Amino acid sequence: MKCSTGLFGFLPRLRHVLHFRQVNGMSCNFLKDDSLQIFLDALAAFGEVHGPVLTDDGVPAFARIVSAADLNLNYRRTLIPPKKYLMPPREKVLDFSPDRGYQLPPPPDRNIVLFGLHPCDLAGIAYLDKVFTATIPDPLYLRRRNNLFTAGLSCEPDEYCFCGEMGTGDPPLFDLFMHRVTEGFLIAAGSRRGELVISGFSTHLSEHELPPPARQACDIERAILDACARGETFQDSPLWDDFADRCLSCGACSLCCPTCYCFDVREYGCLDGETAERLREWDNCLFTEHGMVAGGLNFRKKRRERFLYRYQHKYLGFGPVSSIVACVGCGRCRAVCPVEIDLIDLFREGIDEKP
Amino acid sequence: MKSHSELTSVPLPATITGRRELDRDTSLFQLLLDDEKAAREFTFAPGQFIQLSVPAGGEAPISLASPPADDGSMELCVRRVGHVTSMLHELDVGGRLGVRGPYGRGFPVTAWQGKNILLLAGGLGIAPLRSLLYFILLHRAEFGDLTLMYGAREPSAILFKEELAELSSRRDMHLFLTVDFATDEPPEGLICHTGLLPSLLKGVNFATENTIAALCGPPALYRCAIDELQSFGFTPDSIFLSLERRMKCGVGLCCHCAVGELFCCTDGPVFRYADIREIRGAL
Repeated sequence: MKCSTGLFGFLPRLRHVLHFRQVNGMSCNFLKDDSLQIFLDALAAFGEVHGPVLTDDGVPAFARIVSAADLNLNYRRTLIPPKKYLMPPREKVLDFSPDRGYQLPPPPDRNIVLFGLHPCDLAGIAYLDKVFTATIPDPLYLRRRNNLFTAGLSCEPDEYCFCGEMGTGDPPLFDLFMHRVTEGFLIAAGSRRGELVISGFSTHLSEHELPPPARQACDIERAILDACARGETFQDSPLWDDFADRCLSCGACSLCCPTCYCFDVREYGCLDGETAERLREWDNCLFTEHGMVAGGLNFRKKRRERFLYRYQHKYLGFGPVSSIVACVGCGRCRAVCPVEIDLIDLFREGIDEKP
Repeated sequence: MKSHSELTSVPLPATITGRRELDRDTSLFQLLLDDEKAAREFTFAPGQFIQLSVPAGGEAPISLASPPADDGSMELCVRRVGHVTSMLHELDVGGRLGVRGPYGRGFPVTAWQGKNILLLAGGLGIAPLRSLLYFILLHRAEFGDLTLMYGAREPSAILFKEELAELSSRRDMHLFLTVDFATDEPPEGLICHTGLLPSLLKGVNFATENTIAALCGPPALYRCAIDELQSFGFTPDSIFLSLERRMKCGVGLCCHCAVGELFCCTDGPVFRYADIREIRGAL
């Protein structure tokens, strides 16, 4: 499937929100490829610059970069999504000491500039913002989020992904967005911080033709949005049994999902016998223990029930994110599943059944 | 000054002020928040829960088992069954704990004024219903007939025996007890039937009109007790139950406790049966 669709759910489209500073149909914010290094140097004023790299093991990942040469800008998707910057896989959430009780740990000591985020990953961050800052703001998430500067990058979809456009929410999805064009980038600001970067860097920017209009949505996006809008659960689909039979409960699909945020909480006493640390770490709804309570009673004992739970969360939503589609079309889960399970098959089946 | 979000994520220090053994594995712990102002302001509705922290053990959701008290003290009926509760049972009066909450939705007691109340408790399910029972007894004039039906596995597993003996002599409520299996040692001073909890309903004549049924117990109890209640004429609107789920955060974030699209921790743990009967896997 080679198609490009709009971001799912709550986001309007790129062409309405990307405000290129323009004169007579020309953008004034063209950054030439050979100015990229000094642009990264300018961004470093906001914090440690991280971007897409290829690790020594050949894995696309977000990591710290020291020069533009470290960047792997033609990447499709990283294995682990940028959620690791906002909710690390394992993070200390509380310190306990007998005299001071439970206390939040000291705040992170650095700001991070995350460069080269594809639209799907920006949408993933926007979704996490809704979860962790909307009803009851999570202090640890907020601290990390406020310390994060986001610079988006346009992308070319491959056979796994189904998102190619860019949207915004409120607050804005990004501080900067870089649209790849021949020999450089067109830069747009999505926040006050982003505007400051552009205005401070204007001597290095030049005029360029505006990018072509964004591409149209494809059938599968329409099918997914329609199904979610009517609260479709596909309860009677034979695919659930097929998925459950094949699934290894390895959890790769939610580990690499930019919007999966279930977490477990554990506490460990320190060796001094007095103090303790409370950690939260990524959990996984496909694991057996996810629905288990003390005493061993399990409310989602069967793998099929756990799949339905994952579907419910991803496409229909729970609680504060009820009716918000959490899939951002990045294609990671489809690319990493060792037994080629693809939840999109559910929606495709729906299309096939239509007259 | 702590922010609202900090108050919901950082446990307040509390101390064990009393402990009473109820059976071999179950104790009633009395707690008080250390901060006087926080203690005075601590109030809740019957059916709500707290996230109880045992230092170096972690956190577990525990039902409040007492009615809200003026001095902010709270009682928790806890069985030694998991990691956190086992560490709690190692502690005695003076033990240091942490408390977040109260969380969730309790029983909608203000909407029940003037109604008859039937409480059905199975096993440890007596904990939140004890809070509700004493709340009603404290505001007795505001409610109609009051009945508690309580079932335990065997006579030795009946919790709060002394309190039950006292309650059985009250003229302003009815008490019915049953055990699944009779043993050679009958419960001292208590009249106790033998049979599953729903069987108690059969022997009693009561008007279902203007009556609320509040249940708490294991899932198996719900499945049979709800059918039985409906056969007596209770409507799904008048049946309330408290669900158990894995609740790690208590504030609708960690996503372990969803029931359909609802969260047990923020939309429950007390649900109206009418609101969850269509949800697969709810009971």
